[in-house]
Amino acid sequence: MKIKNNVNFYILGLATVILITGCAQQPKPLYNYGNYSNSYYSYKKNASPESALALEMSIRQAIDKANESQSGRVPPGMYANLGYLQLKAGNTSEAIGSFTKEKITYPESSFFMDKMIKRIHDSEEKKI
Amino acid sequence: MISIKYLFVLLLSALVLLITGCAPKQNLITKGEMFPKMYEQQPKSLLILPPMNESTDAEAKDYYLTTVEQPFGMMGYYVLPTELVSDVMKQEGIVNTETLYGLPLNKLQEYFGADAVIYTHIKKWNVSYMVVASTLTVSIESEMVSTKTSEKLWSYTGTVVQNLSSNSNSGGGLAQLVVNLVETAINTAAADYVKYARVANARLLTSVPVGPYHPFYLKDQGTMILNQQATLPQ
Repeated sequence: MKIKNNVNFYILGLATVILITGCAQQPKPLYNYGNYSNSYYSYKKNASPESALALEMSIRQAIDKANESQSGRVPPGMYANLGYLQLKAGNTSEAIGSFTKEKITYPESSFFMDKMIKRIHDSEEKKI
Repeated sequence: MISIKYLFVLLLSALVLLITGCAPKQNLITKGEMFPKMYEQQPKSLLILPPMNESTDAEAKDYYLTTVEQPFGMMGYYVLPTELVSDVMKQEGIVNTETLYGLPLNKLQEYFGADAVIYTHIKKWNVSYMVVASTLTVSIESEMVSTKTSEKLWSYTGTVVQNLSSNSNSGGGLAQLVVNLVETAINTAAADYVKYARVANARLLTSVPVGPYHPFYLKDQGTMILNQQATLPQ
């Protein structure tokens, strides 16, 4: 009987350990998107100066807090999103800076980002 | 000693149940078997197009694009920024989805330079009303097509069935029934489209082989997924 109790105890203990560690091990997410998706949705639902500002803040926060993620990298598209907001606000040199950062972080974006940067240069030439 | 053997058998059968219990074995398939072209072509960047709405709900498609960047990014892919992409498309005069889905892949490749395009079909977005309950069914099919070879690399469907009624209350007679009906209507109105789209996305993305920025890139060929093309044994 004693052996049986010991084995019982052992198995129960093992099962508990598996149960606890199995559920508790939650690795950090690959990226820290923060509140970006929610504020993007709110902005699409109701575009206003307030929702645009909230969107910009969530994008900046995702960039600033990138090191809290598993990869430590700014999420894909986040610099480009910021650049687009800067472009819409008329800050073309800032926009080019952000599009360039997107290229450096994600070389896959180079093709599209170069197109955007060229567009900015083209439209500025027209103004002169 | 019998008891030890007994316990061992019990533990073993519990393990077997744990592993096989959730789904019949014949419906499982590995990612490598199901989507071999993903591992051959290894797409790195994705252009996610607005969804084609095949459901009866007109609103369903409007906000869908706000739900895709994060989950596809988290699976290790470079996702082109959806807001910028869709505005550029509008400036190019492509306003409706039918036109967009009819564009040749090399045209899209020429403009955005992505390795693959994601086409999304909202198959179902229905609220079915019953006397005291209503149910929302969301079904989204997503497919990845290579811009280089025009081959379909991956496709999967995510379905969500959600009970929208407030806590069912048996008894209480007609007055309670009326209360339930009103509450159901309120809950249906408040049903957040984006919330359920996100759940459907999460479900369909369990099947995608992970992309180059994911720690398990090219290491998940053996991961088991549900084979949606298999017919269920009766």
